[in-house]
Amino acid sequence: MPDEQTILDVSNVTKVYCRNLKRAMRYGLYDLGREVLGRGKDREPGKLRPGEFLSVKDANFSIGPGECVAMIGPNGAGKSTMLKMINGLIKPDMGRIQIRGKIGALIELGTGFNPVLSGRENIYINAAVLGLSKRQVDEVFDKIVDFSELPHVIDAPVKTYSSGMRVRLGFSVAANLRPQLLLIDEVLAVGDVGFRMKCFKHLRTLVANGVSIILVTHAIGMLQRVATRSIVFNHGRIVHDGELEAGCAVYEEVLGASERERVERRQSAARAAEVANAFVVSHDGEESKEFHTGDVVQLRIQLTSQEKVHNARIVAALCSPTLGVLASISTAHQNFVFDIDPATHPDGVWVTLELPRLPFLIGAFHFNISLYGPETTEFYHRRSACANFRVVGPPVDVDGRGISGVVGLEHSWSIES
Amino acid sequence: MNVTEETTESELPEEDSDALAMMEIETSEQVTVYDSGSEIRQPLTLFRNIHADFLAGRELAWRLFLRNLRGMYRQTALGLFWAFLPPVANTAIWVFLRQVGVFQLGGDIEVNGTVYILTGMILWQTFVEAFQMPMKVVTQNRAMISKLRFPREALLSVGLGEIFFDLAIRCLLLIPAFLSYQVMPGPMILLAIPLAILMILFASGLGMLLMPIGSLYQDVGRFIQLAMPFWMILTPIIYVAGTDFGGQLMVWLNPAAPLIVLARDLILLNESAFWLPGLLVSAISIPLFLFGLAVFRISIPVIVERMQAF
Repeated sequence: MPDEQTILDVSNVTKVYCRNLKRAMRYGLYDLGREVLGRGKDREPGKLRPGEFLSVKDANFSIGPGECVAMIGPNGAGKSTMLKMINGLIKPDMGRIQIRGKIGALIELGTGFNPVLSGRENIYINAAVLGLSKRQVDEVFDKIVDFSELPHVIDAPVKTYSSGMRVRLGFSVAANLRPQLLLIDEVLAVGDVGFRMKCFKHLRTLVANGVSIILVTHAIGMLQRVATRSIVFNHGRIVHDGELEAGCAVYEEVLGASERERVERRQSAARAAEVANAFVVSHDGEESKEFHTGDVVQLRIQLTSQEKVHNARIVAALCSPTLGVLASISTAHQNFVFDIDPATHPDGVWVTLELPRLPFLIGAFHFNISLYGPETTEFYHRRSACANFRVVGPPVDVDGRGISGVVGLEHSWSIES
Repeated sequence: MNVTEETTESELPEEDSDALAMMEIETSEQVTVYDSGSEIRQPLTLFRNIHADFLAGRELAWRLFLRNLRGMYRQTALGLFWAFLPPVANTAIWVFLRQVGVFQLGGDIEVNGTVYILTGMILWQTFVEAFQMPMKVVTQNRAMISKLRFPREALLSVGLGEIFFDLAIRCLLLIPAFLSYQVMPGPMILLAIPLAILMILFASGLGMLLMPIGSLYQDVGRFIQLAMPFWMILTPIIYVAGTDFGGQLMVWLNPAAPLIVLARDLILLNESAFWLPGLLVSAISIPLFLFGLAVFRISIPVIVERMQAF
């Protein structure tokens, strides 16, 4: 049982979906029949009808007052489904969700707007949809208009607004929600940079006043402005629940893994030479997944071949799953020449790339390693998203009092006398 | 994530976190539980919740009602005149067809044929709108229903409000029609008002039962569109209901007919040969409406699941 402080308690929640439209309709009809007969939808664990899959599997977590939790994961991982269940839009197929206190949602900005009506009229409509009374809106009407920065067009029809102006007006109305639990789904990328900063400040104010927030987004770079904890979903399962930075790294790893699967599927299994194995080791030669900025990182690559490859060439690209290629290094650049000869090395040759001072800040990284012959067109094999590792420290800071970003630059400050 | 964008944001001055304002949070000790169980297992709680949500959604319903009304006529030159036009145009068509001899009103009634058709047409259109209302409000507010949690009953309040509003507008048309054709309604017209209300409840109750299937399968909506003209022909609107066995059977077998015929008879003739079917349908209209409300409420989450991608 959740304790008295718990605002949200999610316990063994599972949700099943069906991607086949015709079947989904048929199952819908069946489920409706069960609902009307009072039998609900509880089903035996693991029992799925044809075409169904588990969108959320056995999710468990709880949230206390004033916590801001980021729910992150790749597309289709189950985070929006989870949010819909918490919001009461759909029911769990198994398990239980308990919410203590008032709940509000910032899922789609400007819901209920009628484009023919003025901004002023639409403020009242949108506020009513969000559960605010006319009296409440009357009290804060000027604040809403000021926050939206649209006082000059507030009496013009909303259809004359740009899309950015519409969402600004929508956010300004929603900013007056003061629930105990606020759900936010991908709506923070609104307006220009200045307006976005204002939105983040507003969310921090809410958190400071004890509002619990669940934030679903893919823009993990923005999360550090407001969230302190992350829950990472992958294939419907919670794969991380804890510190935000560690969660972001797990998320990037998950993205990297799906990229690896995609590329591996595309490549033919039969090849003359290949990158058989690759992993990173720390300065003591032990295989490791976690490093700090400035550490020594060695990438060890095993290359095998069925025939002799003379003057083989490696291109190793260091990547971030969210940012792409950060650096690309080839053996040819340092005139490092080697052969892969199955006669002399039947288990393959091992090549090591050393990075003496890892320049990256907190995040997840991986290598894409390609094997070539001496000619540009002599391509043998590419192993994508392999040798993945995380940088777990030192902590970054986005409030302008430390270092943040992707690269930790060596630097010094001075003042001219 | 966009690197350039992030850099730009980082360059902006961050406001001091110490300066975060104090604000009042709406607190409540109310505990909400969502699980897989059906709400219908506890009917009393279910209807208490429906009642509470009707009350909680009053202001939202009023806002949406005004939104729809203003939105409908703001971009027109003739404005509210468009509310009167459809029943007038419909009646004019049938009166014209009757006058050129395409069909006969039949029966032996002491009231002008134009008024007779107009009254029947108003009741029929109200019945049809009430029948289609639940499906219409769900379809029109799809985005809202699938994204936001709000009292769903507010949508029914809006739908019912619009039906009553349209009925009131159309009834205004009867005044000049009665005056110009010198029709003098009797005291029984007072009974026609609750009958019209019961008819709306009956039709919307039927509509609510059909809404879940109609929201899943578009065939339902298409079939209704296809069947509507035939249903109208089978309902005694442009002709007088016969009191013989065949005529009685047509009224008894057609769920739309009993209340339309009875209400029209009481408005125009002050008497009716169709008291029994009319009262029978009246008696089941409220239970049907309540059952429809329950089905509407419990089916929304199942429908939302199928509305959008996950």
